[in-house]
Amino acid sequence: MTAPATRPVGPATPRADDGPPPRNPRPRSWGDRLLTAVGFLVLAFLFAPIVVVIVYSFNEGRLLIAWDHFGFGSFAALTERPAIRSAVLVSIQVAVLSSLLATFLGTMAGVALARRPGRWTYWFIGLLLLVSVTPEIVDAVSLLPWLVYLGSDAGLSVFNGGIVRLVVGHSLFATAVVSYIVRARLVGLDESLEEASGDLYAPPVRTFRRVTVPLAMPAVLAGYLLSFTLSLDNTIVSAFVQVSGTTPWPVYVLSALRSGLRPEIAAVSTLMLVLTLVALGVVALVLRRSGDSATDIARTMGGG
Amino acid sequence: MPEALGGTATASRPVPAPPAGPPTAPAAGRRLRVPRFALAVPAGAWLVAFFVVPIGTIVWFSFGYKPGLFGTHANDVLSLDRYREAFSPTFFATFQNTLWVGVAGTALCLLVGMPTAYWMAVKAPPRRRGLLVALVMVPYWTNFLVRTIGWQVILAPQGWLSSLLQTLHLTGGPLDVLYTRTAVLIGVVYNYLPLMILPLFVAFDRVGPSLREASKDLGANRWRTFTRVTLPLARPGIIAGTVLVFIPLMGDYVTATVLGGAKGNMVGQLVASQFQTAQNWALGSAMAVVLILVIAATVGVIALLGWLVSLPIRARHRLVLDEEGA
Repeated sequence: MTAPATRPVGPATPRADDGPPPRNPRPRSWGDRLLTAVGFLVLAFLFAPIVVVIVYSFNEGRLLIAWDHFGFGSFAALTERPAIRSAVLVSIQVAVLSSLLATFLGTMAGVALARRPGRWTYWFIGLLLLVSVTPEIVDAVSLLPWLVYLGSDAGLSVFNGGIVRLVVGHSLFATAVVSYIVRARLVGLDESLEEASGDLYAPPVRTFRRVTVPLAMPAVLAGYLLSFTLSLDNTIVSAFVQVSGTTPWPVYVLSALRSGLRPEIAAVSTLMLVLTLVALGVVALVLRRSGDSATDIARTMGGG
Repeated sequence: MPEALGGTATASRPVPAPPAGPPTAPAAGRRLRVPRFALAVPAGAWLVAFFVVPIGTIVWFSFGYKPGLFGTHANDVLSLDRYREAFSPTFFATFQNTLWVGVAGTALCLLVGMPTAYWMAVKAPPRRRGLLVALVMVPYWTNFLVRTIGWQVILAPQGWLSSLLQTLHLTGGPLDVLYTRTAVLIGVVYNYLPLMILPLFVAFDRVGPSLREASKDLGANRWRTFTRVTLPLARPGIIAGTVLVFIPLMGDYVTATVLGGAKGNMVGQLVASQFQTAQNWALGSAMAVVLILVIAATVGVIALLGWLVSLPIRARHRLVLDEEGA
C-alpha cells in the first residue's frame, strides 16, 4: 500500500506542478463533453419512438404509418369502437386484480424473507429468481396447456374465465418483483421497532399489522403500482392465455398488426402511456418521501 | 405515517397490563409452532402451482409426440425425437439467428449503456441524477409493443426518416431496414437498453467519488482510474446488466414479430407458432426446453469467459504491485 503512495513523489512531482492546471480544464471540456453528448443522444434514442407514437396519434389518415393531417379524430375511437373500449377495460380490470394479488402474496413473502431468514430462504429466492429469469414466451406456452387442463379435465371451471386466466398469468412475475422490493426495504430497516412491539406484549399478529406493514408500506405501494404497469404492458402471456371475449389491450394491438395499424391504436396507447406515467410518478414520489436516493429508486424500479 | 404513529401508540397500550403473564407464554409457544417460512407459503404455493408445475408439464410434453392431425400431444411413447426435430436444419438456423441477435444485442447494449450510465452516475450534476434515472425508466415502463410499433413507424420505407435521408441524399432509395435482422437488432437494443443502464448506474453510483479521487491523488490518469478502479468495482453491475438483457432478449417474441418479418425470425416466434398454428405441443415444448438450456449454457459460458478474462488482469495487477513493492 505504501509503494504506490511513494511513487508519485519521485517522478510525478514535476508532473504535479504543470499537470493539474491544464489537465483539469482540458479533458473536462473534451471527454466529458463527449460523454454528455452520448448521454443526451441515448436519451433521444430512448424517447424517439414514444414521441413518434404520440405525434402520430394526432394523425387523421386511415393508416398509422402514412401521415395525413393533424386532428383529434382518432381519440374518439375510445368511445366509438366497442372492441377498443372493452380491450382497455379488460386491461385495467386485470391490472387492478393481478397487482392486488401479487402485492398480497409478495408482501408476505418479502416480510418472511427479511425477518425470518433461514435455510428455506435460498430455495425461495432461487424460485423467485427462476420466475424472473424465465423468458416470458416459455411462461406463456407452459401456462396455456396447464390452464386448459385445470379448466376442462380437472373440472375447475374458474380457469375457463378469461379474466381469471389473465390475472393468474400476470401475477407470477409481479409476485417476484413485489417480494424483492419489500424484502429490500425491510432488510434496510432495523428490526428494533418490531422487537420493541413484542417486548410491549403485542402478539405477533398485531406487531405484523401495526408495525411491520406500516414500515414496509412505501415498498408495498411501489410494488403494487409496478405490478399494475407490468400487467398493463403484458403482451406475450396474455396472447396465449386469453379467451376470446376478454382480449386485453396489448393483445388487441398485436392482432391489429396483422390487419394494418390505424391511428386509433396510437391514440389509445398515448392515453395508456399517460396512465402509466401517473402510476410511475406516484411510485417515485412515495419512494422519495420515504427517503430513498436516486440510486435506491433505480434499484427498486429495476426490480431488485 | 399516521398509520405508523397509530401503530406505535397501540403497541404501547398494553404497557399498563404487564402482569398478565399468560399472554407471553402462548405467544412464545406459537412462535415455536409456526415455521419460519409460514408467511412465504402462499406465494410459494402460488408460484409452484402456476409456474413450476406448468414448466414441468412442458418438459414432460417434450418427450412425447403429436398423435395426429387434431391432437396436440401424446405421451404414451417417450422419445428424444422432438429434440432431434428441433435441431433439424430449418429450426437450427433460427436458433443460430436468435443466438446471434442475443449476443450482438447484449454487446451493443453494453457498449451504449456503459458510457451513458457512467455519465449519469459520475459526470451529470448530482441534482439531476434522479431526473435522469426517471427519464431512462419512462421508456422501460411504457408499453413494449407500442414502443416497437414506434420503431416500425420510424423505419418504414415510406416513413419520415426514410424521406429525410433521401432529401439529404444519404441513401439512394427508400430506407430498406424494416423486416430485416438489422431492424430486429435496433429494436432489441432499444427495448432492453434501460435494463442495462439501470444496474450499471447503480454500480457506478456505488463506487463513489472518494476512490476515484484517491486513485487520481496516487498519480493515475483518468483512463487508468477508470480501468483499474471504477470498472472492477462496477463488475457486479456489468454482470447483472448483461444477464438482465440477454435472457429476455433470447426469448423475445414481440420485437421480432413487429420488426423482423421473415428474415428476422427468432426462437420465441417458433415456439409460439408450434403452440398456436401448428398445434404441435410436443415439438413446441422441446423447443422451449432447448431455449432455456441454450440461455443457461450461454450465461454459463459468458460467466466463465468473464472469470478467465479477469484472471490475467488480476495476476498482472498483483505483479505490478509486487514490482512496485520491490
